[in-house]
Amino acid sequence: MAVVYLKDDNIKVSVSNGKTIRQIAQRVGASMEFGCRVGDCATCVATVKEGMQYLSPKNEKEIKALEMLDGDTTNLRLMCQCSVQSGEGEIIISYSF
Amino acid sequence: MLGEIVPVSENVHFIGAFDPKIRTFDIIMKTANGSSYNSYLVRGSKGVCVMDTVKKEFSDTFFRRLELLCEYDEILYIVLHHLEPDHSGALIELMQKAPKAKLIISGRAVMMLKGLIKTDIDFEVANTGKIISLGDKTIEFLSTPFLHWPDTMSSYLHEEKILFSGDVFGSHYYDERLFDDEVGDFSYAFKYYYDHIMRPFKQYVLQALKLYEKFEIEIIAPLHGPVLRSNPQFYIQEYSRWSSEAKFRKHAFNHKMISIFYMSSYDNTHKMAEKITEGADSIDGIVASMYDLASLEESNMIDLLEESDAVIVGSPTINGDAVKPAWDLLSCMAYLESNGKVGASFGSFGWTGEAPEMLHDRMRWLNFRLPVEPMKIKLIPTEEELYKCYLFGSEIAEISMGKMVEMEI
Repeated sequence: MAVVYLKDDNIKVSVSNGKTIRQIAQRVGASMEFGCRVGDCATCVATVKEGMQYLSPKNEKEIKALEMLDGDTTNLRLMCQCSVQSGEGEIIISYSF
Repeated sequence: MLGEIVPVSENVHFIGAFDPKIRTFDIIMKTANGSSYNSYLVRGSKGVCVMDTVKKEFSDTFFRRLELLCEYDEILYIVLHHLEPDHSGALIELMQKAPKAKLIISGRAVMMLKGLIKTDIDFEVANTGKIISLGDKTIEFLSTPFLHWPDTMSSYLHEEKILFSGDVFGSHYYDERLFDDEVGDFSYAFKYYYDHIMRPFKQYVLQALKLYEKFEIEIIAPLHGPVLRSNPQFYIQEYSRWSSEAKFRKHAFNHKMISIFYMSSYDNTHKMAEKITEGADSIDGIVASMYDLASLEESNMIDLLEESDAVIVGSPTINGDAVKPAWDLLSCMAYLESNGKVGASFGSFGWTGEAPEMLHDRMRWLNFRLPVEPMKIKLIPTEEELYKCYLFGSEIAEISMGKMVEMEI
């Protein structure tokens, strides 16, 4: 199982593949903020501190949404769009200001 | 009283509309003094930029004022700082009348525009730093999202030092004298607007104020209420203070605060609340306090919720539901940021016992952290069950102090 560390809530979750970070965060009661939940509004943008390689590649919606943000978006992902793709490894996510 | 032509500065005019009769705005806000839908026209040597429009019913006034100041083919840009219908109501008609004009919106506004307009129109996206020129006038854009929709942005007219702030610094206050140094006392409306519209987005307010810092601002031109020209820094400082001051206790004593709100029919949920409070308070760095929802005013609820690092809500189950004051308490979160607060629920029950789970679910949708399952006890708690309540309280307190939670799903 992959481990998702939701840094700002200090919650470590062991998860099976395929779940979006939104599903995980809402299941464990993390304080991540969500808006439209379909990849349009970029409310749920967060920084992947480590383990980007264990997440699904950016889809078209996500690429478009990230384009509208200021600054470097290399480590940013939309939590409602990206999902855990690898069985092993740790993904560290930060979502506070 | 204002005439039809209303200068804000040498090359900027007010072309908005007044709505003296409105008494309830957006369902939730009382507007005893009515409101205004502010729109502005900026003239440069090469053409004109229109800053926002008005609510659709007020389009006639908007176009009448606009036509006194320019020809439609002079309009190079239409900027929408915020797409809510009270500011985009005249957009389609304006774009039809001014086909040369380019629409400028924020990136987050793109999907909203489609939802509102239901037709394809051309637009250009503005992020922080984007600049447009009207010849001798320069307008710079600032991305100031979530104030109070995702799409919101601001802009700054360099040559006349005017900040077009969107809904930020707005007031629902109708007064045709328009300028803050000429209108009546609108301070209550300014604060009320902040409390109801901006308070849930304090972190974003602070981010926006930081962006505004780089500009010398002589006039703030918001989308509602008086234009602020007498001392713009005063209003900026008020926003800064209100957005920074939340945690009184944290500042004063360096404690984390846990609030246990409860109601009790037969003293059982009350007994649980006492033990949970005792358990929470036993952890170093925590101050835990109990509040009986039976006699708590809404304004006190809002302040207590805002100051609390963790919120624990207790309700008995009556006819398969939590009691109304518990729902009323959680509905106050509409005025606040919930991110980062730990939440939990509990209650004694006699028959079906849904209330704690229902409150837990509600708190999930309000973005509370919910690291522990709801605590339910059948009727009168035993000593052993009361000890579990104590541990429930201390666990929540430890998590509030930073203890890591590990789970498998």
